[in-house]
Amino acid sequence: MKTTTFKKQYILTGLFLLVFPFAADKVFNWNYGVLLANFCILYIIAVSGLDILFGYSGQISMGHAAFFCIGAYGSVLLHQHTGLPVILTICTGAVLATLVGALLAYPASKLVFHFLSLATIAFGQVVYQLVAQSPGNITGNFTGKFTDTISLFGWKLNSYTKYYFFSIVCLGIFLFIKINLVNSRVGRAFIAIRENSHAANGMGINVRKYKVIAFATSAFYTAFAGGLYAHLVRFISPDTFTQKQSVMFLTMLLFGGSASVGGTITGVFTVQFLNEILRSAERYQLLIYGILLLTVILAFPGGLYGLVRQILKKKGGKSDAAG
Amino acid sequence: MLQVEHLTLKFGGLVANNDVSMTVEQGKITGLIGPNGAGKTTFFNSISGVYRPTSGTVTFLGKRIDGLQPYQINQLGMSRTYQVINLFRKMSVVENVMVGMHPHMKQGFFASAFKTRAERREERECYERAYELLDFVNLKDRAFEEAGSLSYGQQRHLEIVRGLASDPKLILLDEPAAGMNSKEKEELNALLYRIIDRGVSILIIEHDMKLMMGVADYLYVLNYGKLLAQGTAAEVQANPQVVKAYLGGDE
Amino acid sequence: MLFQIIVSGLVIGSIYGLIALGYSLIYKSSGLMSFVQGDMLTFGAFLGYTFYGVMGIPFILSFAMVILLMFALGFAIEKGVIHRLVAKNVLPIYTVLATIAISYIIQNGSMVLFGSDIKYFPPVTSIKGIRVLSLNVQTEAALCIAASVVFMILFNFFMNRTPLGTAMRAATMDPMAARACGIDVGLTTGLSWAIASGIAGFAGMLIGPVYGVYTTLGSVIGTKGFSSAVVGGYGNMLGAIVGGVLLGLTETFLSAYVSSAHKDIIAYFILLLFLFVKPTGIFNERAIAD
Repeated sequence: MKTTTFKKQYILTGLFLLVFPFAADKVFNWNYGVLLANFCILYIIAVSGLDILFGYSGQISMGHAAFFCIGAYGSVLLHQHTGLPVILTICTGAVLATLVGALLAYPASKLVFHFLSLATIAFGQVVYQLVAQSPGNITGNFTGKFTDTISLFGWKLNSYTKYYFFSIVCLGIFLFIKINLVNSRVGRAFIAIRENSHAANGMGINVRKYKVIAFATSAFYTAFAGGLYAHLVRFISPDTFTQKQSVMFLTMLLFGGSASVGGTITGVFTVQFLNEILRSAERYQLLIYGILLLTVILAFPGGLYGLVRQILKKKGGKSDAAG
Repeated sequence: MLQVEHLTLKFGGLVANNDVSMTVEQGKITGLIGPNGAGKTTFFNSISGVYRPTSGTVTFLGKRIDGLQPYQINQLGMSRTYQVINLFRKMSVVENVMVGMHPHMKQGFFASAFKTRAERREERECYERAYELLDFVNLKDRAFEEAGSLSYGQQRHLEIVRGLASDPKLILLDEPAAGMNSKEKEELNALLYRIIDRGVSILIIEHDMKLMMGVADYLYVLNYGKLLAQGTAAEVQANPQVVKAYLGGDE
Repeated sequence: MLFQIIVSGLVIGSIYGLIALGYSLIYKSSGLMSFVQGDMLTFGAFLGYTFYGVMGIPFILSFAMVILLMFALGFAIEKGVIHRLVAKNVLPIYTVLATIAISYIIQNGSMVLFGSDIKYFPPVTSIKGIRVLSLNVQTEAALCIAASVVFMILFNFFMNRTPLGTAMRAATMDPMAARACGIDVGLTTGLSWAIASGIAGFAGMLIGPVYGVYTTLGSVIGTKGFSSAVVGGYGNMLGAIVGGVLLGLTETFLSAYVSSAHKDIIAYFILLLFLFVKPTGIFNERAIAD
């Protein structure tokens, strides 16, 4: 009984995801909605990466926009200079970010929490500055760079709807890998480090190695999302990759609730929704953002998803007792 | 199987362990006792890799292990529990044991990411073994609860099973009876012999003298970081210096 | 030319140092990190501009009012937000994010209150400058340098020699034991945030006349302050000022003789370098590594 309702839910969700872009675009004439859906998808990938790092292995990054940036610029520049297919350059950009992430994590894995956040902020700023004022103007500096959309074997993803289906397949793969990882030997090592790194070390886990692995994996996720972003918008400039973006990723993660797929999705949707509402009040956006963030931190630090689950659990418990 | 020779550990000007030598023999329960602050836990930390000894050597199964990292020492077959309970509180009981098996598992990152057939098999085997191991300390029916929700005595037991999960040759137990009631202590007593029966030797720190005198094959006494005495339970009990150290030196 | 560079390096360096001093104080007394300092500087500068520049209250009086108000604001932030979070025993990231949220509120809030254009902060005295070694130095610049040195000495003395300072240090090392000794830990932490915020307001008043006042004035200075604190040794009062001055001089020299485009990147690069290679800083303060 329970499994059939479960399956039903999945089928309904799948059906909704399939129909959504057509309905939004053709029926409601809301092409912008499809673009928003695209953003949500790539943010879920990016924040999932941050979740592997923070939610599961307990390390903080306040400079994740840097990986988003490396993924975006890496892909755009590589595509421009070599003419390789975009899909390949996105992957290469992500691999590049993975290496950078590992390189950063190796010395950073020694730092305690607060100083890790400082180091990652500094890293984010260094990357931002390098992109904004690049040697020899290779990134186009503040003018930014235009680029092309993805084309799969000559078939161009020249509408938001086409792009949407491509991104959602990517999202599926990334979530699949994330779920596999956290339910494996590697994931257990991550969680053990988060819970008690001394005991993890005593139980035969090479803490530094796994911290580096977590950082590198996280960088790959976020950088891939950066690549998706670049070729969706077809224009990138340094403005997208500031400290504010890093804080937004973190807010999405904490708002929704860390260490779960549902939390990430909830967080991304809520924050994106708020961003849209607040668009008209741009002048006060940061102020409202700050107040909201503060309220969430003070009122329900478990995140929105955690809160909802808690309430449902209570209700479920009551009905169980009644029945 | 474990030889410690002239181990000294200094923190700045403070000498925590001073020229301590001891051996642990295969299949035996070796005890380490001493008053509070005698440097027992520090000694455990220096042989298990948490601290690097200032001087002296530690040899385990014929290999020098001083200066190695804790995870490397664990992988060589020496496991441990902690004085202050160090469980992974938000993981389930059975997952805690599965973490203990980490060094023996072979599947790497990509096998995990894509759930290869070999990875799934290993996971299943690991899970089944962990679940069976829980039977060893009667925790099977709590297997899926959060480790943090167990009672104090159960958490101590879980730490021991987690330590045994890596199939060590030697396990260091740091005050396993602390905070246990008398019934739990009796269970622990029996448990120690069952650990030996599994082919695992034991080095144990404990304050409960009754327990220690009963189970330990050989005892070392630490006082002010130095070795004060050694011998069988009867010999140590008869040693006037030991009595004086425990009762407080009012001469 | 060389003299001018040294002076402007010292000026910006001492501002960095003052901000770093606040970080170190907060860290010493509560083991926490605050991201509000930079925006506190902005807010202090705006308040000073309002009192002194707009309302025409005498400088010394405006100065005292700003410091008092900032002091109260810092205390309120600690009691209203930080203390609550610490009492709830949340993950440290939440306190860090809370300070970031507050910094957004202050930054955007001051834009709403004061507008987004650069405000001209009238000179502090009618004296245009003082002569040092037959060279002219802007009065505010001299004031900056002198003030930071005085503050550093004062704080070193305060933390190490006075009962309150000792109580604050004890409270960081072992809050439980400190409480047992009759130290009001809640008060000492609150005070340290208040003092840190007071210093930031003070620095804002000093730098206002030199750079003008605008909403993002403090945000870059805030991060540079972190670099300074780490370079000197996080938690070390002397190190904070020395780190600040070193950073200020390095920056000004590099932008004068090499390139001004990459001025900001240097501070972050130095921060990373110290965190990874010499996390205890110049004064060997053990705080950072595991």
